[in-house]
Amino acid sequence: MLDKRKIRLMIKMSMYEKTEGREDFKISSYYKRDYVSMQRWLNVIWITIGYGILVLLFSICNLELLMKDLTISKLLILFAVAVIVYLILLIGYGGYASSFYKKKHTRAKQHMKKYYRDLSRLEKMDMKEKQ
Amino acid sequence: MSTLLVMKEQLQKLYAKYSFYILRVMQFALGVCVFGSINSNIGFIEAVSSKLCTVGFALVFAFLPLNSMVLAAAVLILAQLFTFSLPVGVISLAIFLVMYIFYIRFTPKKAWLIAVTVIGLTFKIPFVVPVAFGLLGTSSLMVPAILGTMVYYMLHSVKVSASALQSGGEQALMDGIMVFTKQVLVHKEMWMMAVIMAIVVLLVYGIRTRAINHAWKTATVVGVITAALLNIIGGIVLDISFPTGMIVVDVLVAVLTGLLLELFFFSVDYSRAENLQFEDDEYYYYVKAIPKVGVTVPNKQVKHITEPQEENQKETRFKMEELRKNPTTKADGYQQPRRNLEKPSIHETMAIHAEQITEENLEKSVNELLLTKSLNEELGLNQQVNNDGMGITRSLEEIWEKNIKSKS
Repeated sequence: MLDKRKIRLMIKMSMYEKTEGREDFKISSYYKRDYVSMQRWLNVIWITIGYGILVLLFSICNLELLMKDLTISKLLILFAVAVIVYLILLIGYGGYASSFYKKKHTRAKQHMKKYYRDLSRLEKMDMKEKQ
Repeated sequence: MSTLLVMKEQLQKLYAKYSFYILRVMQFALGVCVFGSINSNIGFIEAVSSKLCTVGFALVFAFLPLNSMVLAAAVLILAQLFTFSLPVGVISLAIFLVMYIFYIRFTPKKAWLIAVTVIGLTFKIPFVVPVAFGLLGTSSLMVPAILGTMVYYMLHSVKVSASALQSGGEQALMDGIMVFTKQVLVHKEMWMMAVIMAIVVLLVYGIRTRAINHAWKTATVVGVITAALLNIIGGIVLDISFPTGMIVVDVLVAVLTGLLLELFFFSVDYSRAENLQFEDDEYYYYVKAIPKVGVTVPNKQVKHITEPQEENQKETRFKMEELRKNPTTKADGYQQPRRNLEKPSIHETMAIHAEQITEENLEKSVNELLLTKSLNEELGLNQQVNNDGMGITRSLEEIWEKNIKSKS
């Protein structure tokens, strides 16, 4: 005989496995600190690439202005400005990314906990059915 | 208003029933708009720019996840732009990369909102986008609105100055890169629209989340008026031409969209709003409770008071044969109703053998009997039944009385 409760539980679990579950499985396989640290480093790489592209686009856009009366001191000032902006961006995005990935890991862990609880409920239902 | 609410309920029921098909159709429509706007603006590869291809793409991506459609749209844009001109393609790729790195990487599920913004701008109804984003989302949705604006103006620049951007030699390549980068990044109209989008999303979201009466309507109207004013003032200050007629149409469409969204996602009755105040050990609470408007959809049920025609005919035929064999009484002594054999009626449907009634189903039988009686009265069959001398109703009543007496 069909058990409606069991079917509902199985559908819920299956839906989770196919949607958020995939990512949550991956995330929860790391410790929180490891995961956040890894993502922070990845973030640094991405931010560096992104910032490089932005600087390039900005330079192309204002090439004539930059080349006009270009001296070593002007070049150094520009370089310093670029580095300062990069650091600000890195710190800002780094902080945001850290809190973002911390939350993500916590959420994934909670989902996984719920999933395993459902799994044990399903197991108990099976045991009951066999008896 | 109640008609609209009933319609909303019916639509919700319809959606719940056919959500798979409705979502596919909507995704198909979005695909047609996205791929259509790309191909109509920058259709440089003839093979993929035809209407048939547009519909084909939309059809394929209607059955795939929404993000894959956005990815395909980005690839199609890049393919078209690389075919058109190498520098334009390179710059576009760089801009897309920046978008991915700083926004889409964190919220890939919201990437389709960029496509929605592009569609809004393509159809010349840009104010609809920030109003809808502010009403249904959060303040962070101003980012996809800004990015979508950038993508639209990037495609628009290519369309407008296609001949000037066509690359030739090495020098032309460098010139092309510089010209296109300037066109995209120093586009006054683009930045004006991006600022309007950001301000309106923040404003609409800010007003919508206040605990004021008619917050959604106020947010919509204030947002739209602000957008229109900023567009006009920005146009005058930055010396950008703006078609007034289009702004009026845009305002009307945006207000209508806001009202529709309120109807579907936030229908409450402000006349019954209550302000509550209570406290616990640590806090005082000031709560505003606004009841939702609940409308029950009229449920039309067709009640068949006679048996289906085919079954009736079979039963009638069977009874006629039985009657022919034994015209007055049956073996068990049950009086066969004569009058209704040729034309089955309610009485036949509800006829019950007195012997079949047990104590368990007695109550059920009596209910059925009462129903039969009332139906007979309604249809004026009571007199005929009595004349026929069927006695079923009477016998059931007697059994019921006997049963009560024996119990007492």
